[in-house]
Amino acid sequence: MNGVLALLKPRLWSFRNGGLSRRAKDHRARLCFFSLVGLGFWLGIFVIFHRVLAYFKRVEGFGDILAFKLMSMVVMTFFALLIFSGVIVALSKLYLSRDLPLVHSLPVTPGEIFLARWLEVLMDSSWMVGLFSLPIFISYGLVFEAGPAFYLLTLPAIAFLCVAASGLSSLAVIGAATILPAGRIRTLAVFFGVVLVLFVIVAVRLLRPEQLMNPETFQSVAFYLQSLETPGSPLMPTTWTYDGIRAALAGRWGEAAFHLSLSFTGGLSLLAVNLMAAEKWYFRGYSRAQTAPTRLTAVPDPGRGWSERLSFLSPPVRALAVKEIKSFFRDQTQWPQLFLLLALIVVYLYNFSALPLDRTPIRTVYLQNLLGFLNMGLAGFVLTAIAARFVYPAVSMEGQAFWIIRTSPVALRTFLAVKFFVYFLPLLFLSELLIVVSNLLLEVTPFMMALSVTTVFFMTPGIVALGIGFGAAYPDFASENPTQSVTSFGGLLYMTICAGFIALIIVLEAGPVYAVFMAGLRGQVLTAPQWLWLVGSLGLALAVCALAVAAPLRFGLRRLSMSSNGRGEGDRPSAASRGRRGQGGNTRDKR
Amino acid sequence: MIELKALTKHYGRTRAVESLDLSIAKGEIFGFIGPNGAGKTTTIRMMGGILAPTSGAVLIDGQSLAEHPVAVKRKIGFIPDRPFLYEKLTGWEFMRFSADLFGVDGDGFAGRAEGLLRDFALLNWRHELIESYSHGMKQRLIIASALLHDPAVLIVDEPMVGLDPGAIRMVKVIFRALADRGTTIFMSTHTLAVAENLCDRIGVIHRGVLIALGSMAELKASARLREGDLEEVFMRLTEEETGS
Repeated sequence: MNGVLALLKPRLWSFRNGGLSRRAKDHRARLCFFSLVGLGFWLGIFVIFHRVLAYFKRVEGFGDILAFKLMSMVVMTFFALLIFSGVIVALSKLYLSRDLPLVHSLPVTPGEIFLARWLEVLMDSSWMVGLFSLPIFISYGLVFEAGPAFYLLTLPAIAFLCVAASGLSSLAVIGAATILPAGRIRTLAVFFGVVLVLFVIVAVRLLRPEQLMNPETFQSVAFYLQSLETPGSPLMPTTWTYDGIRAALAGRWGEAAFHLSLSFTGGLSLLAVNLMAAEKWYFRGYSRAQTAPTRLTAVPDPGRGWSERLSFLSPPVRALAVKEIKSFFRDQTQWPQLFLLLALIVVYLYNFSALPLDRTPIRTVYLQNLLGFLNMGLAGFVLTAIAARFVYPAVSMEGQAFWIIRTSPVALRTFLAVKFFVYFLPLLFLSELLIVVSNLLLEVTPFMMALSVTTVFFMTPGIVALGIGFGAAYPDFASENPTQSVTSFGGLLYMTICAGFIALIIVLEAGPVYAVFMAGLRGQVLTAPQWLWLVGSLGLALAVCALAVAAPLRFGLRRLSMSSNGRGEGDRPSAASRGRRGQGGNTRDKR
Repeated sequence: MIELKALTKHYGRTRAVESLDLSIAKGEIFGFIGPNGAGKTTTIRMMGGILAPTSGAVLIDGQSLAEHPVAVKRKIGFIPDRPFLYEKLTGWEFMRFSADLFGVDGDGFAGRAEGLLRDFALLNWRHELIESYSHGMKQRLIIASALLHDPAVLIVDEPMVGLDPGAIRMVKVIFRALADRGTTIFMSTHTLAVAENLCDRIGVIHRGVLIALGSMAELKASARLREGDLEEVFMRLTEEETGS
């Protein structure tokens, strides 16, 4: 057990030393931002569940059935999330982490290594689900007027569910790692996970849940759910948790204790099975994961022919563009993200087709064009989210190989310009597609269509340039996963400024566009001040768009040029290492 | 061919390199040695254009790196100590990429790239993704790509790290042949035997300051040693500096 505690110490000490890091400021800013977002999300869940449950409670006859059906769905969803996140975290912690070679060279047993890593898996994969399940169960407690014992029993119930899920995840990973190399399992797990999420998003959207609010259809749906009220399998951890919480809610303490005991012993049994499996198979799987891939028989080459297609470019520009495109398409971790992107677009457009415009009391032509106008901003925000995932990390994706760019006879300006155009062209196509199709679905006027297409045409370069510029100004070349760099200080700054930029363009256009639209609707001619207003606002919007391209690219270029290996201030030794050097001691960093 | 003029780099209050003056002639192999943290990699990075100096200048063939970065870098072949590459490209694609960046013309590329990959025993692996290469193979690919444009100056940080004995011997032979043809080589290394065998002159840097410079005989004289190899000279010089 001492070995397990010793193995956990680096994690605890790293957490404690976080404040000494040269990125501590960045870390604190990120923590504050995400804490606020998380708090908002937590309160949102609480308010929504409290209202829904209170509404169900008022429905005579089957209100409770609906509430408990919802609870079983919640428990089942959490369990699925815990399993999925457990598989991803377990793969990383048990087989792929960079510190594993060191850990396995230490005089501790594989069982101790496994247990220490499993505890980390349990914490890392469960804390968020645990945290965000609380507002749901607190809502149940308040609506069903449960006593304090309900809350005391619910907490261990959630914890036991997490233990069971982590146990199943790690068992699945140990089993899979004896057959497949760990790297391949991760790709498969992410791929199937994203397909699952994609399926759920599309399925839920196509079910049109808004119909549940329609009194004509509500009753039949409720009766249908009632007919589905069959007990869950007694072997499922979700059944133990659900039955335990439900019994606690009803004040049946003996029954609740029985189900929670099942949950507790079930979790412990899974851990015991895990330890036995780990003793036998973990090291074998880890050893397999360390083996370098054998010589590949064929290289997947979706980028074949790009050199010929881009032959009109100068050789250095073509070299950078081809490298960018090939690296992107050959990186299998990008593929699931592309599927998710596709689902996002489908859902986005489907939402417009499903709008009940004919049943609204507001005049349709007015509402259609109002939505068309707001759609420009919405498309901008969708584009920002996509750019945050693909464009902002583009410079950081160079990783440790950035020395190649720094030592090559290519100006950093060219390097950034290539990055800009490689992402700008597909994103422009995507944003115009979103705007044109959604406007066609809304049946907006030709004026609104032309305005939307033009606005997005000028807004997209700004959004992409902001991504490239801030990505270059705050790069993270040392990260194991550069796509996560968007959650850094620079990434948050990028998203905030991008949102401000889109909002500013929409605000600048709103007034004069309203005047033009209403004049057209009333068959009036624009007055001279209105013309002036229109030209001035649109001119200003155009200037803002131009500034959004030029300023961030210059900012990124300046910061990247000044930095050491692109690490900005980071190339300076930390206070701790300065101290060591001051004492004449050797440092691990090369100078 | 290479001139370092009062080259200085400070990291905050830490002085990594202090007023370094050096002049290296065409066709010379210059060895740069020093203890860990002495400032070797910082100097090499400034010479490669990866790191901006706090003050001073790097001149290659009379041109300032700071003033004409693109033109100067075209004359340099840079070989870092750690072989970080674009893992999703094949070896051949990386050679093509380097050729395009350094302006190697399309007609001459294939023959030259094939020759270099054959020399470095990578020809059979040229169509595999770099991610499947071993550490030594990546290092050999970097050296091959650095020679592709026939650079006037080769800047090398720890060239022998990760290479097997056969590859080390091959690199030594290639470097000597390049120098004989007029290529200037600036090389930092911890492998003192390599420096002793290969280099025309050696500079010893300690705590950011150049403490000794010259041929093996001159270094022995400055260390007040009549006999002994570079290791003994190095130990004597750095101990004296630490003690002083």
